[in-house]
Amino acid sequence: MKDVVLEVVDLKKYFPTKRGTVKAVDGVSFTVQAGETLGLVGESGSGKTTTAHCIIGLYPPTSGELRFKGQDISRGFERRPLSLRREIRIVFQDPGSSLNPKRHVAQILSVPLKVHRIVGRGERLSKVRELLEMVELPPDDYLYKTPRALGGGEMQMVAIARALATSPSLVVLDEPTSALDVSVQAKIISLLLRLQSELGLTYLFITHDLSLMRNVASRVAIMYLGKLAEIAPTLKFFRSPLHPYTKMLLSSVPVVSPEERALKPEKVVSRGEIPSPVNVPPGCSFHLRCPEKGEACSQLDPTLQEIEEDHFVRCLQFQGPP
Amino acid sequence: MERNMESLVQVKGLSVGFRVFEGLLRVLDGISLRIGQGERVGLVGETGCGKTTTVKSILKVLPQPPAVIFGGEVLFRGKDVLRMGRRAVHQLRRSSVAAIFQDPLQALNPVFTVGTQLSDIVRDWAAGTGKRLSKKEIFRRCVEALAQTGMPDPERIMTCYPIQLSGGMRQRVCIAEALVRPVELLLADEPTTNLDVTIQDQILRKLDELVEEKGMSILLITHSLGVVMDLTERVYIMYAGTIVEEGKTEELFTNPKHPYTQGLLKSIPKLTGEGISQGIPGRIPNYLHPPSGCRFHPRCEHVMPICTQQKPPLTESEGVACHLYRGDVR
Repeated sequence: MKDVVLEVVDLKKYFPTKRGTVKAVDGVSFTVQAGETLGLVGESGSGKTTTAHCIIGLYPPTSGELRFKGQDISRGFERRPLSLRREIRIVFQDPGSSLNPKRHVAQILSVPLKVHRIVGRGERLSKVRELLEMVELPPDDYLYKTPRALGGGEMQMVAIARALATSPSLVVLDEPTSALDVSVQAKIISLLLRLQSELGLTYLFITHDLSLMRNVASRVAIMYLGKLAEIAPTLKFFRSPLHPYTKMLLSSVPVVSPEERALKPEKVVSRGEIPSPVNVPPGCSFHLRCPEKGEACSQLDPTLQEIEEDHFVRCLQFQGPP
Repeated sequence: MERNMESLVQVKGLSVGFRVFEGLLRVLDGISLRIGQGERVGLVGETGCGKTTTVKSILKVLPQPPAVIFGGEVLFRGKDVLRMGRRAVHQLRRSSVAAIFQDPLQALNPVFTVGTQLSDIVRDWAAGTGKRLSKKEIFRRCVEALAQTGMPDPERIMTCYPIQLSGGMRQRVCIAEALVRPVELLLADEPTTNLDVTIQDQILRKLDELVEEKGMSILLITHSLGVVMDLTERVYIMYAGTIVEEGKTEELFTNPKHPYTQGLLKSIPKLTGEGISQGIPGRIPNYLHPPSGCRFHPRCEHVMPICTQQKPPLTESEGVACHLYRGDVR
């Protein structure tokens, strides 16, 4: 068994609104092991970003536990020690809004160096250069550019450099490439993979793109309406998906070659939309859209069960009588 | 299907630029494309390659200025749209061409109900054909169009404002608006880019059915190669305002010729899990000073001296605009 870097136990995050409580994340448990990439996949509104934000401490969780290398971190970041904030970093989806438009690259990258006192004032610029080189941006060309002068891919590289400035051990990647074109995405992904093997990073990779996860993740977790539907090692996950939602997702992925088409599960006609998280259907939250639903599905909410080794599914089909 | 079918739309050597403070952005550089009667054509390219400018030229909705059309023609059934008067263009838009755009929230008017917006379209179309429709008849047609898109409870939706609907529903309303009257050509500009995969799948299947049923032509603009593969017969690959490759979708994707198309196809993550390529180095050129010759040459790994001097034409036989495939040059 490898070292567990992050342990999430029954994490819940509710947001009270005028129209009722939004259960954005509702009892999610998983672990992330050192050096692996856990892919967290889900459609919009499934709670994957809220999970990420709880992990880096943007919000304190409503209940549940977050443990980082054995240490309890279930609180907001303002109540976390500086050393912890250095260890867990995040790259956001849209670099256009996560980088300060009025600062140039050197200033943006100096901020974490200052806050975390990584290097002294004199060495700051050389450290910034080193960071830029690490993400394959020639420092002489980029040091004094503002984000506006950069392309989307280059901005994301700067954001990655900023995340790595404090030598973290866990990096949360919140849809880092979904705003980018495929040719740029490929570049960013290969950069991320290289950095992971060189620096021994652990990634929690959040995305809605299953084909991307096939190539990047070592394990994949599917979220639906604030709950995990299935979690399994990548190979197993794509070879034998079990949860009906996973099958629906996989059969909806547009592909370009016949080899890929052969890998998709038999056409599961997708129907319905994700219900509003204010008004989650009773029983299994997926039963309204599920092609394989049984009678009990509208009453009983299944729990995550280990079906095979490391393969967890939350579906009544695979659950014995309670 | 036959390739030599009668063309509905023919774009010939269209060049469009935009006048901005810094100078002139030369975006479209002599692009030519053809859409046959009842044909499904895809137009694929990355952000900023001029896909939307092309669509807007066909619809003649490019604001001029800042847009400047240098040359070329857009023939719709042999008539040049770019030289049509206002009346003729209006007639074209209300009875022959419909468009669906990427962001339904921007395409729909937030202060009118879905019903009002849909019936306006029907009424305008009817006025164009000289028909008189009763209110009841208009309502019936609108509800029918909504139902055709797979919208649950269309009568209720008619009284809703766009903001009350989800993204997938709004896009269905846009499709209903496009198809509530019989049209010959549907321009779909990234119709599913903002949607989740399961919803995308539903919308694409619906579009597929409707296009088939009504026998219209469709030009599908997207950056997603998978979507094009699903829905079209023939595809144009666009890079930096030029068409670099053209061909039957299946053939082109199994045997890409242009180095850009090859790079693009290699960049897509595959379900088969063969890893990810390095992508294509560099980025899309600045349209203020586009590269000379072939616009792809600064990023191309097969670049030859001629590439920097001469723009390769899109050859009829090979369907690729690249000097590598021109025997006489090599």
